[in-house]
This record gives sequence, structure tokens and C-alpha cells, in this order.
Amino acid sequence: MPIKNRLSEMQPQLTEWRRDIHRHPEILYDTHRTSALVADKLKAFGCDEVVTGIGRTGVVGVIRGRSDTKGRAIGLRADMDALPIHEATGLAHASETPGAMHACGHDGHTTMLLGAAQYLAETRNFDGTAVFLFQPAEEGGNGALAMVEDGVMDRFGIDEVYGMHNRPGLDVGQFAIRPGGTMAAVDQFSITLTGKGGHGAMPHLAVDPNVAAAHIVLALQTIASRTVDPLKQVVVSVCTLNADNDAFNVIPQTTRMGGTVRTLDAAIQDLTEDRLKEIATLTAAAHGCTAEVTYTRCVPVTVNAEEQTAFAADVAEAVAGSVDREVAPTMGGEDFSYMLDARPGAYIFVGNGDSASVHHPAYDFNDEAIPAGASWFAEIVERRMPQG
Amino acid sequence: MPIKNRFAELLPDITAWRRDIHANPEILFDTHRTSALVADKLKEFGCDDVVTGIGRTGVVGVIKGKTDSGGRVVGLRADMDALPILEDTGLDYASKTPGAMHACGHDGHTAMLLGAAQYLAETRNFDGTAVVIFQPAEEGGGGGREMVEDGLISRFGIQEVYGMHNWPGRPVGSFAIRAGAFFAATDLFDIVIEGKGGHAAKPHDTIDPTLCAAHLVTALQSIVSRNVDPIKNVVVSVTSFETSSTAFNVIPQRVMLKGTVRTMDTDVRDLTEDHMTVMATQVAEAFGAKATVDYQRNYPVMVNAETETGFAIEAAERVAGTVDEAPLVMGGEDFAFMANEVPGAYILVGNGDTAPVHHPKYNFNDETIPAGCSWYAEMVETRMPAG
Repeated sequence: MPIKNRLSEMQPQLTEWRRDIHRHPEILYDTHRTSALVADKLKAFGCDEVVTGIGRTGVVGVIRGRSDTKGRAIGLRADMDALPIHEATGLAHASETPGAMHACGHDGHTTMLLGAAQYLAETRNFDGTAVFLFQPAEEGGNGALAMVEDGVMDRFGIDEVYGMHNRPGLDVGQFAIRPGGTMAAVDQFSITLTGKGGHGAMPHLAVDPNVAAAHIVLALQTIASRTVDPLKQVVVSVCTLNADNDAFNVIPQTTRMGGTVRTLDAAIQDLTEDRLKEIATLTAAAHGCTAEVTYTRCVPVTVNAEEQTAFAADVAEAVAGSVDREVAPTMGGEDFSYMLDARPGAYIFVGNGDSASVHHPAYDFNDEAIPAGASWFAEIVERRMPQG
Repeated sequence: MPIKNRFAELLPDITAWRRDIHANPEILFDTHRTSALVADKLKEFGCDDVVTGIGRTGVVGVIKGKTDSGGRVVGLRADMDALPILEDTGLDYASKTPGAMHACGHDGHTAMLLGAAQYLAETRNFDGTAVVIFQPAEEGGGGGREMVEDGLISRFGIQEVYGMHNWPGRPVGSFAIRAGAFFAATDLFDIVIEGKGGHAAKPHDTIDPTLCAAHLVTALQSIVSRNVDPIKNVVVSVTSFETSSTAFNVIPQRVMLKGTVRTMDTDVRDLTEDHMTVMATQVAEAFGAKATVDYQRNYPVMVNAETETGFAIEAAERVAGTVDEAPLVMGGEDFAFMANEVPGAYILVGNGDTAPVHHPKYNFNDETIPAGCSWYAEMVETRMPAG
């Protein structure tokens, strides 16, 4: 029982929806058109309940199975938002909004989940409730957190959650997953160094925050190279460094730097935060400057629960014939982690074939992945809550 | 059928051998006393062939099974050399040689393989040939490589090879293993930075190689933090920094840096060597100095073959009931040279709650002997069952 026949039949229709969403990308929480489109379709399918405005522009659809003997409910999630990228695909269905683009395939995720909802609303071959979670603002806006904080898990009695992301480079419609830490915790830091400004020709009268900053950039490299166990993963990237001055002959008073930290487990995250603060303040002090460090934990590690991961992998294997159960973790972040912190579940990758990488202006979601992705969502519901 | 009964009986003997070897540690290829002891015992057990001088001081014993219908040959390997460490255990059988110590448990490995050899020579309950391999110079001397280069594998027709290491922190006699890359490739580098020496009060007349080397040490950190995929494993350690002068008022002519690189796959190994070479050369040039880099690939990655790891697990399960999945180890192991020639597997056996290996208070745990001996013997009997 590989791809569901009904979802293959629906593919032309689903492809049309996907391309429509692709033409109309909306950023962060501004997914007004997309949210309305999703809500309309869910109603048209005959969902038992369609609720909008959860997590600002999030949409939830509820489909009850033929029976509900055990009171089970499974959440399936897709993200709807686009990126502030200027599309360069040259496709007929390219973005009609300059500077906005579905460059991460959320158009495809939304469409696949809509397909599964239509199929499940038609068939209802399960014992329990399927809850469809369409979230805004996955790209840096914590839309998943907004939905969780709006009470989506309790309100709909969700027991487990499942999500999916397309993956360029993986064969179309093939699946890959891993138990445990799958995508990184995303932290960001900013360091403000205050020295003593002065004339560029008279450094001995100034305290140069640029030199302190340069030393800090170098010293921060040792978190990865000397502090963290080489068998563990960590990324510390200084991404921005700006003196509050752009004259050629002025030593600035302050210099600001900022960047990101990526980790896959809590102990390494704590260690990195501690070391980063120590290195910044003490190196600054060594150079006669003061450092003010702000360290913000943005998105937690995406942790796939053991049991649900094994189940999700079995389903993927049934759909696609095979599955990679031990795919390497990625240092990218994913705000589905907030839902996985709230309920056990699993996040799976579905192959997008040989496309440009996500967040690239030439990227496009591969419509051929739709039947596999939609079948996986539907199978999760049917197999996790089988009819008696 | 857990621990073989015979090993419980042999335990006092094997323990006595182990402690005798412990009291008389020998470093690198200088395992003359140990090699002679091993060869004598193998002859005494009635091995069909005992060959010395393979890989300089290596010893090989051959034991033929009751039958040999398929021409099967399984190699079992132990290491014999000690470390240049001053022992601090206070044991009554502590090292009699100041500055040499069995601080990695090779005394135990050798004793366990001797025990297995005695049992196999007595019972010969297998169909094929067991080759017991005792190597010198595991600790940085490439004794495994020397034995392989001396034709160890082809001369004895070895088809598979198995080895074992004790592991402090694991429960005594419990086993752990992993398939695929297990121990890291261990490379060495020497970087000489040639500046221009001079008076410390006149830095402008010199090219200061110390400053340049400090920049290079800092730059090398970025191989791990910026160049290698964070999902991959790599260690770059500058372990020695030596100026050519020790005076307070002399800017030295040159600085010598030394260190080690540990990697788990060839791509990362190549990338690290390339980046190190480019960085050293270019950073030196940026300071007007000149760097020469001597990068030596020492032990390769120790890779456990999939199929043979499965056999090793089977044997260990028979002995201990269960086997754990071992983590990757950034240390190196020159069993890699043998495992590169023929498929094989390397397993860890628990040494209990002892000091870590290479520590002056470390000691091999004799209670591990029955489990270790049984595993070696099971490897032979499992892989070449008597008809």
C-alpha cells in the first residue's frame, strides 16, 4: 500500500492550489490570503470545525473519524509563510509580490496537508480526531509558539503532533527522519563593547573597542575547537560587527557585534552561553573595555520522540517503500520544536529531488512530492488511530 | 553458555602472567622480555607454529582446529607494549622499571589472548586455523603496520581479524562495540616558522616568529569552528610550542609547533590537512616569516566491518548476555592497519571503575580476564564451528 490512489487522482488539483499559493507569498504573520484560502478549503471539505485566528493568523481544522472510542486526537502541522527573498525562478507561477517568495516550500507543505485533510474528510476511516494545524511565521516569527500559547494543544485535546519538511537533494517522495535532536536550538547574541573613543592618530589616548571585538571573534572560535566535546555539535557564528563610526580617522567609542549559536543538546547550549559571556566580558576587560552581552534563546532543539519517530518511519516506509531512519541532524532551526515540546511527536523530511536549496531565489517546491507527502499525513492518522 | 568454565580454572595462572608482565613493562618495539615470555608460553601450550620477529618484536602463534575442511583462518590480536609513564599505583606488582608502565592495560590484553590460546590449544574444537597475534608498539610506534608490512596477513592466510581493548568506566566484563568508523585517524604535524631573530629591544629589526606562531595557533582553531561541517568530528590540537631561544631578551629565529589532528573520515582529514598547510604558509607570509609544514598521516581511521561486527556481537552476547553500542572514540588505535587489510572488528570490554587509561594510577582489572578470554575463544569457535 504505497501512495494512496485518491491522492494521486487529486494531484493536478493540489498542484494548482500549490502554485496559486506560490504566486501569492505572504511573510511572517501576514498570511491573510493564505489563511483565508486554507480556511475556505477546510470548510469546503466538510471539516467538523474550522477555527481561524489561533496564533494570530493560524488556522485549525478538525475532522472526526467514523468512531471515537478512545478519545484520541492527532495533530498534523504545516507552515504557510514565505520569505523576504526576490524570486528568480522565471516560472509561470512565480511570485507576484516583488521581494516575497515561497523559497522554503511552505506552499507545498500547506498544500500536502490540505490534500490529506480533503482525503480524510471524505473517508474518515479512523477512530479518533485529526486536527490540522496551519501556522504562520515559521521563518523567524515563532508562529508555532504563538499557536501553542493560544492553547491549541489543550483546546483540541491533541495527544501527538507530526510535521514534515521538504528536503532538496533527497529523491522526490523519499523520506528521512531520526529520533532525538533533529534540528538545532537557535540562539542569538549581541555584544556591545564600550571603550573610549578618540583620534585615530592617538590610539594611546583611546581604548579601542574594535581591537577588543577582533580578539573576541577569535576567542569565540575556541568554544567549538577547544571547549565542546568534539563528538558533540555546536556552531558559533559572529555574523555582524559594526563600529559606531564610519570615519577613517576616528577610534569609535562603541562597537557592536552579533551572531547565532546552534546546538543539539541542552548541556552544550548552557555551556556555550556561559563561555560566550565569559569570553566577551573578560576579553573586553583585558583590553580595558566593558562588554554588555545579550543572549536570547530563540527556538529550542527539535526533538523527535522515540516511539512516535519509529511509528512515523514505519508509515514513511509503507508509503515510499524505504526510509532513512538515521538521517544526520541539521544545524538549521525549526519552530515546530515548540509543538514537540508541548506534545510527543515527530518531524520528517520528504525528498524534493535535485532542486536549488531552500532559501535560494531559484528554489521551487517539487509538485511530484505531493502524493507521497499527503499520503504520509493521511496514513499517520489512519494507522495511529485504526478503526476497531 | 556464558564464561567458559576452563577460564575460571585458569584465572589464577592468567592473573599471575598479567602481573608479571605488569611488573616488567617495555616500551614501543623494545618488548624483548614480553615477546620471549609470550613465545615460550605459546610453545608450552603446544601451538602448531610459533613465529617471532614479525614486525620486529611481534610474535605469532598458530593453532589448528580438529578439522580444517574449509581452509578458514581467523586472527586474534593483542598488544604488548607499555607507556613512558612513572607508575603511581603503589601495587606490590607495580613496574620495576622507573618511567615505564602498563598504563593502557596491554598487559591484560596479552594475558587474555594467552589464556584463550591455551584453551584453544587444549580443546581445538573448531574447523580451521586460529592465529594469535601479539604486537609491539601500539602506542605511537605503528607496530600493527610493521607486522602487516612483514606479511602477517598473507603469510598466515588470515581472513578476518579481531581485537579487544579494556575500557575504564564500563562495568567489568561487559562489552561495547560499534560498526563502521570507531577510532579516529591520528595525524601528526610539525610546523617550523622561520622569522628573523634579533634583539628584543629592537623588534623593528626582526621578524618575530613567536607572534606569527601565536596568530597561527589562533587561526588553526577556525578549522574546527568554521571549515568542517559541525555535524562531523574533528580535533586539531597544537600540543607543543617551542622557541629556538630561551633568553629573555632575544627574539628567536624560529618557532616549532607540533600537534595532532583527529578525524573520522577521509574528506574531513583531507580538508584539515589542506587548510592547515594553507593557513600556516599564508599566515607566516603575512608576517614576513616562512612556514614549513610536515604533515604525517599516522594511524588511519579504525573501521569495524559490518558483517564481522555482527559476529563479534554474537560472540560477546554468548559471553555476557548483552552488548552495548559504543560511542565514537577520538583516540587512535593501530589495529586499524590490520582491519584495513582484512575485514575485522574491535570490541571494548569493561574495566570497571578504575582510573582512565594513560593515567599513573591506572591498573588493568583482573576480574575482566574470564570475559575477555571467553570472547577471544568464542570468536574462533563461532566463526569456525566444528562440523
